[in-house]
Amino acid sequence: MGSAQLKSDQLLELMKQHLATDEGKDLCKKINLVYQIKIAPKKLGFDEVTYTVDLKKGEVLKGAYEGGKADATFSFKDDDFVKVALGKMNPQIAFMRGAMKIKGSLSAAQKFTPDIFPKPPVSKL
Amino acid sequence: MAMRELVSGGAACAVPGSSSSSNPLGALANSLIGSSSKTKERLEEIPTSTSTSSGRQFDEQYQPPQLPGSEFDRPFLQPGTQGSDFIGAFRSADHGGLADAWDEIQQHSHVAPPLPHPRDAEFQRIYDRGPAQPTLEGPPQRVLSNFLHSFVESSRGGLPFHPTPLPMLGLSERDKQCIRDRSSIMARHFFADKSEDFISAQVNALLSSLDIDSDVRAKGPQPAPVRELEAYWNESQGIMQPNSHATDGWVAEFGQQRHGDPNAWVHSFEQQHGSNGWASEFEQEQSQLASVDHMRGVNVANLAAMEQTRMLANTLAQNGDPKFQNSKFLQFVSKMSRGELIIDDNQVKPTSGDWATEYQQQYNAGPSWADEFTSHGPDRWVNEFASEREQQRSVDDKWIDEFSNLRVNDWAEEFENQVGEGALGDNSADNWANAYDEFMNEQIATKQHSDASKGIYVFSDMNPYVGHPNPLKEGQDLFRKGLLSEAVLALEAEVLKNPENSEGWRLLGIAHAENDDDQQAIAAMMRAQEADSTNLEVLLALGVSHTNELEQAAALKYLFGWLRHHPKYGTLAPPELSDSLYYADIARLFNEAAQLSPDDADVHVVLGVLYNLSREYDKAIESFQTALKLKPHDYSLWNKLGATQANSVQSADAILAYQHALDLKPNYVRAWANMGISYANQGMYEDSIRYYVRALAMNPKADNAWQYLRISLSCASRDDMLEACDSRNLDVLQKEFPL
Repeated sequence: MGSAQLKSDQLLELMKQHLATDEGKDLCKKINLVYQIKIAPKKLGFDEVTYTVDLKKGEVLKGAYEGGKADATFSFKDDDFVKVALGKMNPQIAFMRGAMKIKGSLSAAQKFTPDIFPKPPVSKL
Repeated sequence: MAMRELVSGGAACAVPGSSSSSNPLGALANSLIGSSSKTKERLEEIPTSTSTSSGRQFDEQYQPPQLPGSEFDRPFLQPGTQGSDFIGAFRSADHGGLADAWDEIQQHSHVAPPLPHPRDAEFQRIYDRGPAQPTLEGPPQRVLSNFLHSFVESSRGGLPFHPTPLPMLGLSERDKQCIRDRSSIMARHFFADKSEDFISAQVNALLSSLDIDSDVRAKGPQPAPVRELEAYWNESQGIMQPNSHATDGWVAEFGQQRHGDPNAWVHSFEQQHGSNGWASEFEQEQSQLASVDHMRGVNVANLAAMEQTRMLANTLAQNGDPKFQNSKFLQFVSKMSRGELIIDDNQVKPTSGDWATEYQQQYNAGPSWADEFTSHGPDRWVNEFASEREQQRSVDDKWIDEFSNLRVNDWAEEFENQVGEGALGDNSADNWANAYDEFMNEQIATKQHSDASKGIYVFSDMNPYVGHPNPLKEGQDLFRKGLLSEAVLALEAEVLKNPENSEGWRLLGIAHAENDDDQQAIAAMMRAQEADSTNLEVLLALGVSHTNELEQAAALKYLFGWLRHHPKYGTLAPPELSDSLYYADIARLFNEAAQLSPDDADVHVVLGVLYNLSREYDKAIESFQTALKLKPHDYSLWNKLGATQANSVQSADAILAYQHALDLKPNYVRAWANMGISYANQGMYEDSIRYYVRALAMNPKADNAWQYLRISLSCASRDDMLEACDSRNLDVLQKEFPL
């Protein structure tokens, strides 16, 4: 199974299913950008797993974007990505703390908010 | 060819044999400004044509006191050149319009015969009805006015108008053209409810009586006054300080305008000619007419605009320059003149079919087009024009060049764009309709969703417990043994038997909640509440389930209900609050309750739920931990603690709490499923799969768990098991993922 046991995997899998729904298609229409997300298990830049979140075609793929250059590329630690995606950490704060690195268009990066992620599994009381 | 030449009437402009001015821009001004003035001026000139072609001589020879507009004729009498006569006439038209002239003609008519039709009472009032048989004798002016009057008469009964022999009126070509234009407009005005053929027949009858060629494009020798206008225009163009010149106020006004407020020009324009002219007069009458006889009206201003643009188009068309002939602006203007385009709310729109129908729709729509046009149309046009002028304060010559170089194309483009927008507008109407459909579908879907959430309880199909002698007892036993799905069936049988049994519904709701099905839990609990509206356990359960479904308002309602109906804390809850529940108020009340009796675990439980609602997970965890100290054997409380920790990204702690719950109640499906979620949240997908499968084995109806299982299978790269998941094949999954 290699190093591929990230907490983020579930979120990106959810994202994949989410993009197949009508809501997800609307999201693609609204954003219409391609993000590349690099997730490191423990330390930024080490053992990174790259995901392509294509909000043009509505796809989530493992691996680098092959259709050219992504509009923005983010680097996260696994935990930090979960926090940002679940809205537990503000992306701006994550960026300022160095928990998130951005390459590419800044205006594209600004559309990368927790809102684009579907609701994760909710534990029931 | 430069626009300058157009304006100044240069050689390139001149079109031999043209009946219109050889100065197109002069004619433009004429057609825009002179719609009312020209007509009257011509009416005045008509009699003169019999003897001589000089207006001055006419005034000397014959000046009946009742002559329409005669009170304005004084400038006409001033000695001077023919040109000044013309200018005088031009000026005299400032105060009146065709409408005035027309009205006066009507008023000077004689006794009215009986009405042919009741609706004509209104006509009677408006037009002060004239004689049925007009005298076609006397001075040419009187003959003409009576004749025109009889034409109007014919409109009342919608009767065909028959050509009448008339004495020689000696109308000039220009007069004829004028009558032709006006009569066709008025015919449309009068015969709005008639066909186009009828209208043209009426007009042709009139025209043939007057010996006027019905060919609209007929051309005669250029009449002298037009040349005068041209000269006058050129003169005004050359004036830098118009006030110093001896010309009249029009030029002064215009000149001042050039350096002043653009709106003032519009106002003076309107004062002189536009909105106070015959168009608005007729419009007014028109609306009175419409009150009696709906849809009879024709928008006169629209016609006037068409008429003006038609004249403009004619004028422009005589320009020989092929480049200009092909210009979009000219095409636009000629489209306007043919009525293919209309201006509506400052939008240029193509008119597809019958313009009269089009108009009727507009007429129905509310504010009159004419008002719209006079209040906005010219304003805007002039504003645009004036803002250009603001930028071009230099010599007049310069703006002409500027105009010819840039403006025509810009205008053309702008109009083109507007037309394009009009077309876009049609598309967007479609889009709008589609969007509306989508919206409606969404609404329906939402409604269905909320219906489910509101609690239409869905009973199981095959229930072996139906007919059981004591299903409630059976259900309670099964529930105690932890056989939740079986308990659900037994309790369903109970509530089918005794629909008013609150305890049956309550236990059914709890069984569903523990089975991880909040929708059914809510449905059952609502029935329980119907039967017993003050049951605290039911109210709390409803609060919890709505919290799980992220329905804050509903959750608050039930938690407040819990407080109100609590024997101890009911006094804390002001009843008036139940109308408008705010989270902060409820949380404050429960904190008061907790201070009142800190040893009541239930209050802490409700507080924990409330903090979950507001996502204050740390406080929620604290509340549940306090409650657990008081009630350490409440498995549902351990689950609540775990779930709160999990939602607060403390999944490792959550697993410990769930373990407590499962130790106390091994068949607690909700805790098993929550366990799976917590493992998945930590990236331990293999483990999460086992817990999901375990939960599903106990309650295959837990849809959420199936969905989460699928995600975990994908994340664990166990795509080989996705099919078993999709087909809900538990045997395969249990074999593959034993716990």
